[in-house]
Amino acid sequence: MDLSVINTLAATVAENEAIGRKAGKAIALGVGAGLGTVGPGIGVGYIFGKVIESVTRQPEMRDEITSIQWLGFALTEAIVFYAFIFGLIAFFLS
Amino acid sequence: MKLRLLAALTPLVLLLTPAGASALQVNENYRPQNEFKLEPWISIHIGGLDLSINKAVFYVILASALTCATMVWIARRMQARPNRVQVAVESAFTLMRDNITKGNMSDAMARKWFPFVGALFMFIWFSNMLGYLPLPTNTEHKVNIFGAHIPSLALYAATANLSVPLALTLVVWVSYHVEGVRAKGPVKYMKSWIPAGVEGPAAGPIFFIEAISHFMRLISLSVRLFANILAGHLLILFMGGGLVVLLNLAVVGSVLLGLVTGTIAVLFFILEVGLIATLQAFIFATLTAIYLGGAVAESH
Repeated sequence: MDLSVINTLAATVAENEAIGRKAGKAIALGVGAGLGTVGPGIGVGYIFGKVIESVTRQPEMRDEITSIQWLGFALTEAIVFYAFIFGLIAFFLS
Repeated sequence: MKLRLLAALTPLVLLLTPAGASALQVNENYRPQNEFKLEPWISIHIGGLDLSINKAVFYVILASALTCATMVWIARRMQARPNRVQVAVESAFTLMRDNITKGNMSDAMARKWFPFVGALFMFIWFSNMLGYLPLPTNTEHKVNIFGAHIPSLALYAATANLSVPLALTLVVWVSYHVEGVRAKGPVKYMKSWIPAGVEGPAAGPIFFIEAISHFMRLISLSVRLFANILAGHLLILFMGGGLVVLLNLAVVGSVLLGLVTGTIAVLFFILEVGLIATLQAFIFATLTAIYLGGAVAESH
């Protein structure tokens, strides 16, 4: 049997492995960042829903509620970016 | 309605046709991460430390110089009948003093820490806003204009680099602990981490969790600012042309994709400039005030 077949096979396997690693990184970024958006998305919707509810109940509290609303919004929204940054780390730095 | 739907779907259909699919060859030469690469402009190495002047250093210096210069300039020409700029700065001042600082700590503490919180707010705001101004800082690709090699325009911000938010966070973190220890003494300060009402054997694990959460503040405070600005810049970069270059479509596909993503880029730009830049500066300053106030407050 021709031994060069083994070399060709090894080269193919190595190439496939490299492609697989790249695909894995891309999937890690996509799935990680994508799933990471679900929770904060629900959270942001909940915050704004509650704000509307509170303001319709007590319109005189509007200014106070608005400032707390932005604080809650920014804290929740930042969680998306935690997932995103870890996805980027998996993609570029691993 | 039907026409609008058709117009929205046309680019997608064009991308999904066999011709579009076979043309989908990702451009391997384009490396988006290089937009954030820091090339040393003036190389300075002291021992093992790399203190080179690069894009990030330039942006930090620019932001701090602009903060000081603008504030001093406006303070010098204060008038009894204020113009628009003065009104804007005065309302920012009221926001920082009354809402951010006084809303979260006692009056004595607020008098002491207002300059710090205010300076943090202004510095982060200026450096975020500078990030949306295209400046000729991309030394990797130069543009030849009448024989002069001018670096191409690039978006970057001091706060889009983890080191700057992390340094600010460390200052905040150390100063609120120092302030807490000074107000209560080390043992009583540690005890005040445990929420009121927790007694007996439960206090041990709770203290452990609270101690971890204090360290988590280091990560959350710095990464929140950094990731928001970085993600904003990445979105603008990809939507404003990066995706078109990366996907490497045929001419028609590129134009259609560019029209769609370009519109999205403008919308994201408005969102970032109008909301995120100010909101993140506000959040950072507010959390600083909350941490400082919480460290000194009697009950946790």
